[in-house]
Amino acid sequence: MDDHASVIAMLNHTWFGSELAPETQERLAKLGTIADFETDEIILREGEEALEMGILISGRLALRTLVPERGPVTILSVEPGDIFGWSAILANTKAQSTVVATEPGKALVIEGATLRAALKEDHALAASLYPRVLSAVGRRLRATRLQLLDLFAR
Amino acid sequence: MIANPVSSPTAVARQWFLARSDLEALIQALRKSGRRVIGPTVREGAIVYDEIESAAALPVGMRDEQSAGRYRLTERSDDRAFGYTVGPTPWKRYTFPPDLPIATAHRVGSVGFDQAKLDAPALAFLGVRACEIAALAMQDRVLLGGQFTDEDFRARRKAAFIVAVQCTTSSSTCFCSSMGTGPEVRNGYDILLTEIDEGFVVQAGSPAGAAIVALLPTRRPTHAETGAAVDSVEAVRTQMGEPLPIAGIDERLKHQLDNPHWGVVAERCVECGNCTMSCPTCFCTSVTERSDMEGRTSVTERQWDSCFDVNFAKVAGGDFRSRPRDRYRQWLTHKFSSWMDQFGSFGCVGCGRCITWCPVHIDVREELQAIAPVIQPIERPVAVEPVAASPGSYSIARLASVREETEDTTTLCLTDLDPAFLAGRPGQFVMVALPAFPAVPISISRFRANGIDLTIRAVGPTSTALVNLHPGAKIGVRGPLGTFWPIEDAYGRHAVVVAGGVGLSPLHGLVEALVANRDRFESVSLFYGSRTPEDQLFREDLARWTAGKVIDVAVTVDRAGPEWKGRVGVVTTLFDMMSCDCSKVTAFVVGPERMMQASVQLLISKGVVPDRINVSMERHMECGIGLCGHCQTGPFFVCKDGPVFCLSELGDMYVREGI
Repeated sequence: MDDHASVIAMLNHTWFGSELAPETQERLAKLGTIADFETDEIILREGEEALEMGILISGRLALRTLVPERGPVTILSVEPGDIFGWSAILANTKAQSTVVATEPGKALVIEGATLRAALKEDHALAASLYPRVLSAVGRRLRATRLQLLDLFAR
Repeated sequence: MIANPVSSPTAVARQWFLARSDLEALIQALRKSGRRVIGPTVREGAIVYDEIESAAALPVGMRDEQSAGRYRLTERSDDRAFGYTVGPTPWKRYTFPPDLPIATAHRVGSVGFDQAKLDAPALAFLGVRACEIAALAMQDRVLLGGQFTDEDFRARRKAAFIVAVQCTTSSSTCFCSSMGTGPEVRNGYDILLTEIDEGFVVQAGSPAGAAIVALLPTRRPTHAETGAAVDSVEAVRTQMGEPLPIAGIDERLKHQLDNPHWGVVAERCVECGNCTMSCPTCFCTSVTERSDMEGRTSVTERQWDSCFDVNFAKVAGGDFRSRPRDRYRQWLTHKFSSWMDQFGSFGCVGCGRCITWCPVHIDVREELQAIAPVIQPIERPVAVEPVAASPGSYSIARLASVREETEDTTTLCLTDLDPAFLAGRPGQFVMVALPAFPAVPISISRFRANGIDLTIRAVGPTSTALVNLHPGAKIGVRGPLGTFWPIEDAYGRHAVVVAGGVGLSPLHGLVEALVANRDRFESVSLFYGSRTPEDQLFREDLARWTAGKVIDVAVTVDRAGPEWKGRVGVVTTLFDMMSCDCSKVTAFVVGPERMMQASVQLLISKGVVPDRINVSMERHMECGIGLCGHCQTGPFFVCKDGPVFCLSELGDMYVREGI
């Protein structure tokens, strides 16, 4: 088990975590656990309830969506520093894609129900975390818009 | 030798000669005029300014050796009295004392406050240098030039008689010539001395100065003596070397408030405040109250303070400059930027005290260059004269080989070319023609010893015909045409190449040049996005560049199947977490215009300046030489004035709808 100090140090090296207030980093380190995963390990399956949110410390994850007659299509890769499973912040939300490891890696994983309860009770945590999540989601949204334009098509 | 008759204002500015042995006469004349003489003298291994009673107290035959964090006195081989530069004492010690009672207060009977009475002693400052006169003038502007004034300072300045001395030597820490304050003393003195081998060339700068000079055993100097005086000062300017690029530093610093280098300096700085205490222009103070035990009377005293002090910007609710980096930034930006806004000049005179007396060797000159370096204007080499430079005229090339890059993109290797094509530069293009097909512009993707490569995506009749040619075919070419990548602009900087889709083709030659000259750049990064893994161009080269680790290569695709283990996402996701100092980035961007726009916006948001972002534009071209008008964009013909543009050149024309 990694101690809090080393988890906070890991968080500080991530794009998502380094901008969080020290108190928020401390809280997230206490709420979450460090999980290791292997190549091809499925972390979250499309259509199932999103039970955990994670901050990727190392490795690479692929977000895949199943397209009829084409099979699974990777629509995005999650790189170290970014988050995955953010839908877990909302209750009863189904995962929109399958999250699969394409490289061995490590992530700080927080159980959705625990995180929701903490956010409801600790407004300072919510005030610090929500803008960062929005920033991550906004970044992904902007990239998706460009993807939709299919700029490199003929 | 007779006392000369200079006693009227008309005698001001006339030059005289004073023998070295008669320097004592000057000191005694000043003392007899009712002034205490403050001059250079040796104390505890340094030349400081203190009261002297005779010339015997002067540091005759002494020199100082100064560098960052180092000061040593050594002996000269002559008996010069002013053969040193500046010591740790600024003259403000006597015009703006470090401790000064400014008021008293009492509670005897009723409450009362009494301002301290002005008590400005008549002092003669002996040995004031050009930079120090400039410093006194700067404090005049700060303390006397505004709505509210410091009357104690005014009285002390008025009572000060200035005997200036021209610098005839300099230290490695001196940079007055860069700040425009020296080495020549031009004004602001009562008497000016220039020390030469035989004695002093003397000049009065005020009626009061002329009155003192009139009492001295002087004579008219010879031409050789006045010439030697001029030459010795000029030699100091030469000693100091090339001036620093100070012009515009005030504006450049305003754009560097978030530069990470502030943190780098702060890690070295121990915040001792030596720089501010020895600075001749720093004027910040704090006041303290000293009360008797009953609180019936108190004295308010003003002391020099330093913006490096941890409490300097503290209020009840917290500290506005809580981090060392904030305090260092405050000091440096005030000296070289906001002082200009407040008082119309820099707050630094280039005396170098802050460098010499810094215990951790921080050199303000180096930090300024690291934080706000001069952006050199881009000097683009002249393009080679193109071949067949008129519409309808083509040079014939032979197709040596064909290499399929992707399903729809092919590289043609041309040879048997006019040498002018081989002298082209990355970023340029050629007009390519086949009989029965309209000519099309194609970027040169590679320069070889005996030919060039054209990487072509089959999208129209000409390009489709071209990619279907076989080795040995003959092709009409005109060029090389257009502007090219300003590779030199990235020397010493982070070169960032952003390519999308077939946009890697006009960048390929640039990347090869960056790889070949890797040592010239701080770092080289290639960010490449394509639609799918199968759409990647130059896969062998990408593998070579990645494997060699000569440059950093990151690739991504917009979509992929499960077999793809690499990144998926648009190209901007490759560098939106880029952590290098973006003020030192020179970027080269090519891709679909919307992708370039997104990339450019992101680069700017990360701190890359538009002057350092280069893009290549694609437009309809029929001639390629600025005659057909098809490619006109605002004031530019993209074929002739581009296709490579610096973003700041394009201004509002860049990605504007309908232009």
